[in-house]
Amino acid sequence: MAVCTGCSLLCEDIELVGGTSHAKNLCRKGWAHFQSLYTERTKPTIEDQDATLDGAIAKASEILANAKKPLLYGWSNSTLEAQAAGIELAKKIGAALEGTTSLGQCTLMEQVLTGKIPSCTLDDVRNYADTSVFWGADPSNSHPRHLSRFSYYPRGEKHQKSYEEERSCVAIDVRKSSTATLCSNYFYRLPPGTDDQFIESIMAALDGKIPKFGDKKRMIELGTLLRKTEYGALFPGRGLVYSLQEKMDLLQKLIAKLSEITAFKVVPMVEHYNTRGFNQLLLDETGFINSVSFHDGAAVHGPMQSMIEAARSCDAALVIGSDPLSSLPFGIARALAKKPLIAIDPRRSLTTDAAKVVIPSAMCGFEAGGTALRMDGVKIAFDSVIKGDMQSDEQILARIKEAI
Amino acid sequence: MDADVTIVTFRDIFQDEAGKKGRYTDEYRDLSARIILDRQEMARLGVKDGQRLKVQNDVGSVVVAAKASEDEPHPALAFMISSPWSNQLVGDEVCNASNPGPKRITARVSPTDDGITQISELLQRMRA
Repeated sequence: MAVCTGCSLLCEDIELVGGTSHAKNLCRKGWAHFQSLYTERTKPTIEDQDATLDGAIAKASEILANAKKPLLYGWSNSTLEAQAAGIELAKKIGAALEGTTSLGQCTLMEQVLTGKIPSCTLDDVRNYADTSVFWGADPSNSHPRHLSRFSYYPRGEKHQKSYEEERSCVAIDVRKSSTATLCSNYFYRLPPGTDDQFIESIMAALDGKIPKFGDKKRMIELGTLLRKTEYGALFPGRGLVYSLQEKMDLLQKLIAKLSEITAFKVVPMVEHYNTRGFNQLLLDETGFINSVSFHDGAAVHGPMQSMIEAARSCDAALVIGSDPLSSLPFGIARALAKKPLIAIDPRRSLTTDAAKVVIPSAMCGFEAGGTALRMDGVKIAFDSVIKGDMQSDEQILARIKEAI
Repeated sequence: MDADVTIVTFRDIFQDEAGKKGRYTDEYRDLSARIILDRQEMARLGVKDGQRLKVQNDVGSVVVAAKASEDEPHPALAFMISSPWSNQLVGDEVCNASNPGPKRITARVSPTDDGITQISELLQRMRA
């Protein structure tokens, strides 16, 4: 069996029949991930000229050694072992560390990892949950096997009957997403930016009061469903997090209220396969889940260590397993693109195209093994499934650290 | 004729698949560089599926293809798949109350004869 590193579900049941091109149990996203092994692979370059791997690593080490305020960004598509090596490198060279949740799930993830919001494993969801709520999340597109493996369709320890009889699925979104179509009985459409009012309305319905926002009858119906729930799971996506922003305490209050009535847990829908791993490792190491600077030795976290400040103020950036020039807002991407960039990545991207130094790496889950934390915090180990001569992120980072 | 819209970005598995084939593929561009608009809004703007629209705000601008929504009416609300094209319109300060980031982009759309913005051009803008 192989593990798919295509998203944070880390599906462990991938059967390889005659190699990676004939794998079973993959979703469309996983299949594309497996096929990406054969296309758009990077090669070592320095200033757009072909180089040797040794030469690219030496140049990257030189850039980082000479930088006064280096930034190390990415990490969500790296193993725990590579992430740990990255934290050590950051300490050694006095760098800032940023993960990909800095502009997304950061606040929510922090509340989950510090225990302010109760969480559970996806196996608990499969075995016990009778209500799953997808809020600002669309797993049918982002985590395609979420519903079939854990949250809606499977039979579990306490749920031996079919999903129509024993599980309810709620979708709260601004658009009728693919997931919302699947749980159309409980689809609640919100105008953008009104999630806080929707939370207030749910809490009113739970208290037996008349909700002030939304269709009163449907809000009372949702309140009744949640009250009757024996074990509920909420899966918040970026839609909810961006909408609530500084009002994230409202979600905490809602979960606290639901927890007075029944068991209700939260699992953030982070995207990349080891997003949670980086947040957890950094929290264990520094007390912060993101945006940490070691410029002055000790770990510092604050507004001056925000992603935008880090991108603007750094004088060199190492980007690993991430494509910030594609995924970040224009201003931040532009700030990064103007810095001397070092990209450690197995595949071509806008970021590798803009990088001064490109270091090709092994694709985790195929050419390199390791461990990672699934979106629910469960540690998953995987081996390499094909032989290759590419070096892993961990090996490359160790060589850079040694060279510096 | 133009229209002010709020754009909400979302994930799409087909675009994700195309991105894994390559960021520079036509398939990735075709799925990313488009904006889904309310049917009435499209009629008011005088555009049909595939016709080009300039989407611009204080942050930047892109030319993308129009696509009619199959959802129930949502005037003044538009959708774009998260991509380098949508990110051209997202401000820097995405973690404060005054800027809700990629989930509520305010922009103006207007028909144009300009070509679809190419990804190489987006990269050039970042490096300029």
